[in-house]
Formats: sequence, C-alpha cells, structure tokens
Amino acid sequence: MMEAHPSDGDRPVAPRRAGRRWGLAALVVVAVVWSISGLEVTMDRLLSAPGDAWDVFRRMAPPAFSEAIDRGVPGKVLESVHIAWIGTMIGAVISLPLAFLAAGNVSPAWIRTPVRQLFNVIRAVPELILAVILIPITGLGSWAGALAIGIHSVGTLGKWATEAIEGVDPGPLEAVAATGGRWASSMRWGVLPQVLPVVTSQWLFRFEINVRASTVLGMIGAGGVGSELVSQLVFRNFAAVGAVLIMTIAVVMAIDTASAAVRQRIIRGGTRPGGPDADDIDRNAAVLADLTGLSTGGPSSGSRP
Amino acid sequence: MNPPPETGRTTAQTRPTRPRVRPRTWIVAAAVVAYTVAAGRTVGFNPSTFWQVWSNPLWEKFWPIPWDWVLDRHNVIDPLIETFQIAIVSTVLGCGLALPVALAMSPLTSPNRVVLVVTRSIMNVVRAVPDLFWAKLLVTAVGIGAFAGSWALSVFSLAVMVKLFSEAVDGADPRPLEAARAAGGRHMPVVRTGVLPTVLPEYVAYGLYVFELNIRASLVLGLVGAGGIGRVVEAQRQYFRFDRVLGVLVIVFVVVFVIEQVSVAIRKRLV
Repeated sequence: MMEAHPSDGDRPVAPRRAGRRWGLAALVVVAVVWSISGLEVTMDRLLSAPGDAWDVFRRMAPPAFSEAIDRGVPGKVLESVHIAWIGTMIGAVISLPLAFLAAGNVSPAWIRTPVRQLFNVIRAVPELILAVILIPITGLGSWAGALAIGIHSVGTLGKWATEAIEGVDPGPLEAVAATGGRWASSMRWGVLPQVLPVVTSQWLFRFEINVRASTVLGMIGAGGVGSELVSQLVFRNFAAVGAVLIMTIAVVMAIDTASAAVRQRIIRGGTRPGGPDADDIDRNAAVLADLTGLSTGGPSSGSRP
Repeated sequence: MNPPPETGRTTAQTRPTRPRVRPRTWIVAAAVVAYTVAAGRTVGFNPSTFWQVWSNPLWEKFWPIPWDWVLDRHNVIDPLIETFQIAIVSTVLGCGLALPVALAMSPLTSPNRVVLVVTRSIMNVVRAVPDLFWAKLLVTAVGIGAFAGSWALSVFSLAVMVKLFSEAVDGADPRPLEAARAAGGRHMPVVRTGVLPTVLPEYVAYGLYVFELNIRASLVLGLVGAGGIGRVVEAQRQYFRFDRVLGVLVIVFVVVFVIEQVSVAIRKRLV
C-alpha cells in the first residue's frame, strides 16, 4: 500500500507487458484489414450503407398490422412457438437419459466417452444446417423445423444436464447404495430429485433459445414466421415487414420474461421462508448464472466475480 | 399413542408421510401436457414419421460425397475464407461499439438515468430480433453479399456483447470508482481508471466467445443471401445436389468443431 511512502520516487513501476499488448493489437488490426479487403467494401458503399438501412426501417414506420393479421401472421408466430416447444420436448426426452450415461460420477468411462462425443458432435451442427438436410426428407413445413431443433437441443441439453448430474451431493447416492438399491434406483431416488429443478430450468432456457431459432428456421421453409418475413421483404412491402417484426419481437420478449420468471421460481423457490439450505442455493445459482449469461457456450465460458 | 422414543428407532409409525401433491401442481402439469399435445398436433408430430424419415429413399441422394468438387478452391475454400472475414470484421466492430454502450447501460457507470433507460430498452429490442432476421433486413437494404452479412453480424454481436459485458460491469467492484470520484475526477476519467481495468479480462473473454458465435452464425448467413459459405449450400440445395450440400456441411461441421475446442481452451486459460 502506498500511504507509508507517499513520495514520488517510491511509486511502483507499471508492469512491462506493453510489448505483448502492442503485438496483439497489431495482429487484430492486420486481421481486420485483411478481412475488409475480402468483403468488397468500397468507401461509397460504406458511406451509403447506414442511410440505406435507415431508409428500410423508416419505410416500416406505420406497421400494417391489419394486413398482417389478415395474412395470418399471429398464427405463424404461434406456430414458431409450437415448433420451439416440440423441439425442446424432443431434445429433453432424448437428452435426459443420455446425460445419466455421460456423467462422470454415475457412469463408467467406456460408455461415458462415446455419449459425450455424441453431444459434442450434435452441438457442432447448427439447427439451420440440420433443417437444410431434413427438409428434402420430411418436406417443407414445421415438422422439419421441430425435428431440427429437437436434434440440436439434444447436444446442449445433454451437456448441461451432464454437468448438473456431476455436481450432485453424493450422500443420497450412498444412502441408496447402502440399502442395496440397484443403479437405476440410485439414479431415480439419489440423483433425479437433486437435478430436476436445475434440469427443468435448463429446458426452459433452451426453449427461449429455440423460439429465436424457430423464427429463423422459417426463412428456409421449415415452418413459422420466418417465411412471412422473407415473402414480405421480397415484395418490398415494408409496412407489413414492420408488423411481422413487431409481433415477433413482442412474442420473443414475452416468452423470455415469462420463462425467466418461471426459472427463477424453480431455482430460488417461492416466497416461503427458509427454502433449501444456503449451499444448495449457491450451487443452483451458479448454474443459473452460467445459463442466463450465455446462450450456447455452456458453463465454461463465463466467470462471475 | 406415546411420542416416539429418543433413541432414533424408526418404526412404521414414525415414518414421515409422503408430501401430498398440491392441486395447483396437477393443474400446471395438465396445462403443460395439454399444450404439448396441441403444439405437437400443429407441428405435425407423429411418432411414425421418425421411421419415415429414416427409411426415406432420398437419403441416397446425399451419397457419395463428391470430394474433388468439395475440395476445389473456388467452390468451398474461398467462401469459407469469406465467412471468417465476416466474422472477424463484425466481432471487432460489434465488440468495439459494445464497450461504450455497455458502460452506458450499467447503473454503476452510466452518465445519467435517461441514458441508462434508453440504451437498455433499445438493446432489449435489438436482442429480441434473431440474427438472420437482421441479415435478411440488411440484405434488402444494402444488397446481397458479404457486406450485408458483416453489418448484420455486427449488430448481432453488439447485442450479445452488450448483454454479457454490461453484466460484468454491474458486478464490478465499486470502490475504485468511488475513490476516483472522491479524488474529483470527471465522468469519463473516472470510468476509465476506476472500472475499466477491473473488467477488461472479462471483456476479452466475452469477445472471444462472441467471435465463436459469429463464426457459427456466419456459416449460415449465406442461406439468406448474406455471403459466406452458406450461399454455396443454398445454391446447391436449389440444384438438388444434396451430395454436394452434404460435402460442404461436413466442412462446416469440422470448422465449428475445431473452433469450439480451440475457443474453450483459450478461454479456460484466460479466466
């Protein structure tokens, strides 16, 4: 601390890492310049782009709600929500049993490793790519979207659930083992009650992500509101585009808010005094913080002080 | 009946009763099930379609992958490089813009309440628009190609980065800030010296994460005409060359997989 030697000469020297910092900065600059050179950017385009973008938004100004309602846009938005929900359900039902097989504390290595790799592989395929593959098979429509979302959700949900299972208190597991329970009973009575709140909130969080994903999936013909946005943009009917956008945003935000409230309720409990013990809250809160901070990166990505 | 003895002996009588399920729980569960069934019907869910999907003869159209076409420089590698370029530009642009916006959005560092509320609500709306919606809107505005894609991803990374980073600022230690304020600093120097150094590591870590997201997003941007490798997928899909589509998708898959592993490894070292 400084107060003992307030004179100027004793001031600590700044750490000498400036060289490395400049190197990194130079690297970023070079990368950006190289990237811009590949993107057909001219000064002309760069200067007119904000104006062009603003023009499009300005033309949406009085959104044509009645026209959008006539065209059944609210139904399409709801269809997106249905797709996301069914996709989440498919993902949840498939991922939960697999997560038990992938968790280090309850599953042997020979089965854990392949299941984990399966999660990694599934997670690396974006929903849109899955939909591109599935559409020729299932035909255009919402089922392709639901299936794509469901398959992709297995990857993330499985990973999150695995982490939740690995974080359980081993006491109940031992208790079941001490009474002579088989593996299945120790999972059912020792692990499942502990992870169910966390896993349920993971499902809800995935549902929020999936709502966004399913609106996008419609753009390539997998059902939902995306197709409506594309067709109105093709017709340059910007007033209707504005209405579609506003309806989508409203539903997305409403679902985010509702789902966040439910998740909060599941993890923290209601307003009753003295809920689960403090340790439990901390563990769950950490999981929740990881979930809410980041979308698909998983818990390793964020650190909260 | 006597109260249970103190020895901790458990008999059938002292066994705790199982908690009863409240009627409200049943109602919620029934509502969830009912909604799932209704949604499933709308979506066209049918267990037999699983089998139909697997046994569809169209799968044969995906095989064999024409590797010499896929590995040709002009077909896949160039669009892939374009994808990386989009991701780099938009990460730098989005994260750069996110720094002041996030600082304006946190109660700790915001200049005043009006700025705070206004930026917060704008960013909430921006974030509620899915990334490919932005791409499609900007393709309409500035024309098809990677230029529109970079703009769209910049907006998207701005939204994500602001959300992540403003939470880091919220959680920053307020004491250096108070010290700087007590020393009579004006707003900007106070924020620069009081908060910025403590949150910079998180800024870099989140920046890397956003870059990873952008790589993933830029791979599919082309599906709506915003440049990158997705436009190859879209074009071949329209020619019904599913074998080529699958070949490109294999490349995409490898890229995403490698990027994720590298990014996770770097972030583990940083945090």
